[in-house]
Amino acid sequence: MAIKDITLGQYFPGESRIHRLDPRTKIIGTFVFLISLFLVDHFLGFALAGLFLLVLILVSGVPFRFLFRGLKPILFLIVFTMLINLFMTSGTALVALGPLTITEEGLYRASFMALRLVLLIFGSSLLTLVTKPITLTDGMERLMSPFNRLGLPSHELAMMMTIALRFIPTLLDETDKIMKAQTARGADFESGNLFRRAKGLIPLLVPLFVSAFRIAADLAMAMEARCYRGGQGRTRMNRMAFGKGDALAALILALYAAGILYLRGRLG
Amino acid sequence: MQAAVIGSLYAALTLLLSPISYGVMQVRVSEALTVLAMFTPAAIPGLAVGCFFANFLGPNGMMDALIGSAATLLGAIGTYRLRRRFYWAPMPAVIANGVIIGLMLYYVYGVPFSPLYCILWVGLGELIACYGMGLPLARFLQKRKGDLGL
Repeated sequence: MAIKDITLGQYFPGESRIHRLDPRTKIIGTFVFLISLFLVDHFLGFALAGLFLLVLILVSGVPFRFLFRGLKPILFLIVFTMLINLFMTSGTALVALGPLTITEEGLYRASFMALRLVLLIFGSSLLTLVTKPITLTDGMERLMSPFNRLGLPSHELAMMMTIALRFIPTLLDETDKIMKAQTARGADFESGNLFRRAKGLIPLLVPLFVSAFRIAADLAMAMEARCYRGGQGRTRMNRMAFGKGDALAALILALYAAGILYLRGRLG
Repeated sequence: MQAAVIGSLYAALTLLLSPISYGVMQVRVSEALTVLAMFTPAAIPGLAVGCFFANFLGPNGMMDALIGSAATLLGAIGTYRLRRRFYWAPMPAVIANGVIIGLMLYYVYGVPFSPLYCILWVGLGELIACYGMGLPLARFLQKRKGDLGL
């Protein structure tokens, strides 16, 4: 497992209408889309969801191969799930291949589940493809701010998310370094059964942990030295504002949701 | 600050070992970090945020990010509550993740096993991570608490 094999974040820079939407609109929109996929109970519903997503992807200008890349790690799961569903569901037999029979219900269930999974993944990938992670955490902070009165420290939470995001690559490097150092001293990360391997990772975890805490302490001191004192009265460099595009997006989203509910009511 | 770094540590470990971090038969090494909630309440939001990013950047997308971090959050709160009972403390994390992630895999991702089977497999992976790696880490931390400022 080399560091370079990991793709972190997957933002696809662009200036499309979708890119320029307020992050809050995009987050809410993604939510509505994901929920809608669970309300669908007929293939027509998936056709509508798929069409909706297709239009969004075309408008955003994100090449399809970027979306398919997100599918790759889970492809095995999808194919495996499909096969099991295909052969294990009982019902009216369509084709019999020796001991295996493909039933009508199996075919239906397998394709239904696979479609939902693919749409689910495409839908959530699109959000990260058209939104920078930092903008995304900013949007979440704003979305959570009404809960401030209930005692939810939304600024601190968003701050933490931003810092956590920033340190992921640093700690990935650190982990790699420690792994190599321990391997050079004879640590074995790659052989034995599951329990032995799990135990073998302890010489990695402990130094990693110590170094992570050192990073945290340094950062805290640096922030204190610059008089950071939390969210109260803090101004922003980039201010968020809903625009005409967001209103249009909300309208389209509402129409889409209504379409899904209508199909569910009529066909369900 | 500790919370944020714990979060990114969780995400980094999960992503680095991603072949065994997602799915029904997972041993998510980073779950060993749940023992941190025994030492500092800062670990509770930290772990949840870490799990959020790990899942968000991982192959399963937004659903996994929300549900998974909720599971981790519950587990971490439980661990914090049980912090005085060394051998029981990691248990809430095992249960919360096993049940919630198991059910999520079944209902959301349509994994073709029975729900109980999903729960048991995910739970077993958690057990290995939390007890096999978490407790030795916790023992070490207990000895060096002062040096690390916990």
